[in-house]
Amino acid sequence: MRAPFPIPALRVGASQHQRCHPAKQKDMVKVNLPPERAKDWKEAMLKKMAEVLDKYRSVRLFMDICVKCGACADKCQFFLGTGDPKNMPMARADLFRKVYKRYFTLGGKIWGRANGAEELTESVLQDWYTYFYQCSECRRCSVFCPYGIDTAEITMAAREVMAAAGIATKYVTEVVAKVYDTGNNLGIWPPAWKDNCSFLEEDLKDTEGLDLKFPVDEVGAEVLLVPPSADNFVNTNTMIGYAKMFHAAGISWTTSTYCNEGGNFGLFLDYANLKKVNNRILEAARDLKVKKIYWGE
Amino acid sequence: MAEKFLFILLPYLSAAVFLIGVLYRFWVWGRTPVPLRIVTTPAPRTRGGVIWRLIGDALWFPSLFKGDRFLWAAGLAFHILLWLVLLRHLRYFLYPVPGWVEGIQTLGLYAGYLIPIPLALLFARRLADEKVLYVSILGDYFSLFLLLAITLSGTLLRVFFRTYLVEVKAYALSLVHLQPVIPQVHWLFELHFFLVMLLLIYFPFSNLMHSGGLFWSPTRNQRANFETRFVNPWDFPVAYNPRNLWPPEKYHQALAESKEGKKE
Repeated sequence: MRAPFPIPALRVGASQHQRCHPAKQKDMVKVNLPPERAKDWKEAMLKKMAEVLDKYRSVRLFMDICVKCGACADKCQFFLGTGDPKNMPMARADLFRKVYKRYFTLGGKIWGRANGAEELTESVLQDWYTYFYQCSECRRCSVFCPYGIDTAEITMAAREVMAAAGIATKYVTEVVAKVYDTGNNLGIWPPAWKDNCSFLEEDLKDTEGLDLKFPVDEVGAEVLLVPPSADNFVNTNTMIGYAKMFHAAGISWTTSTYCNEGGNFGLFLDYANLKKVNNRILEAARDLKVKKIYWGE
Repeated sequence: MAEKFLFILLPYLSAAVFLIGVLYRFWVWGRTPVPLRIVTTPAPRTRGGVIWRLIGDALWFPSLFKGDRFLWAAGLAFHILLWLVLLRHLRYFLYPVPGWVEGIQTLGLYAGYLIPIPLALLFARRLADEKVLYVSILGDYFSLFLLLAITLSGTLLRVFFRTYLVEVKAYALSLVHLQPVIPQVHWLFELHFFLVMLLLIYFPFSNLMHSGGLFWSPTRNQRANFETRFVNPWDFPVAYNPRNLWPPEKYHQALAESKEGKKE
């Protein structure tokens, strides 16, 4: 079957130098992770790895059954874009697998490198940090894998393992920390959120002559609206659309300053933050005593 | 002595390693929880649909068909031929031989002649495709090498070095009845037999476990019943923060702090 686009030749190390900025200490503290790389990072990572392998069947199974058939290789956007072989899904998973083999399987302990096992060294860690943050967790590889091996699961496991040792990226931790501070990924502070909502009210009155409310923190409304990123300040027409729709349907609604964005960057960090960021939607709904949550993103 | 080891001890040893190894793998996968719903869509909504999906995945590899037609054709040809060859071999272990086993003898015979072809193609692909070559490790070549050696020696045994089959069958039955008797056979049969035993021992430690693993794969054996709640067995509560909304004082303080920060 001819691919609709050229499949690049291997260029070893092509995207090796494209790396995320490391996390800042203040953000790491806010997301409840070690503020900097732990002195015993190797032990911390191996301990977390054992935990992850016992908590996620996906990870353990996918470590065991990949036959390296290569069906996923040319399906990854990061490989197609860079040609770096470590961006092929099976090779990306191999970064995790070689450490798994070395410390968690009999064959790897006996045969070592011949069986693809490798010690968790600084250079392996650097590869992890580079290539597990060059995966967007889109799961396209799992569609083409004959066993449904989902590299996103392995990427998430690897990031969780690194995070446990205090290794994460600035972008992700900063965004999650902002959620805990301001209620949204963008760092819109509650007064700014309120101001923006009243601006939309005025704007709507000026342009269309409509007298609609953009309620904030209204206890007892029927619906809590959690808009997707940026609806309130970039795609304002969508936000105005919500107000019109609720008005036309006669449903009372509110947004929350505690939780006014649906995107969850905890997905890119670890399970605890993933859950905490999502849980705040529930908390806000309970606080405001709403009956329903309308949740974008 | 060597023959005693090969024909009396090794078969039971490898059978035990194979069975215990495979069951142990299944047990480890089975005891490991599945915390999230990660099914690959489009997915069936019912249990029956999941069974059909898994059977389909196991029998004709639709995922490979979507992505890589050559790999699909070679892989599917190999697996079908392997099944035919394995079923054909049942005639050595069963007495009397059931009718359906007799019925597939000719088919199984030709399957045996053909099976080295897809294997060789898969081997060649592993070497020719730089992407696959990059990730291949010794274990991947070893599986292919073992299977090639087994099938080639089997074909040679059928065509050139024909073994006295009554002897082989008597031995196979003696194994089944736990009273093994050392057979008088050609050395090529000894090699063929030894490689099969090696494969059985290697099987549970290798990625050949993909055969059973498919059925444990959460992306394939889950349902898309998104209307029901999915419970994570090891879920933990996160701290509930009843009122984290910003009071104005806190906002003004943060604002002042950030302005001070900018002056520096």
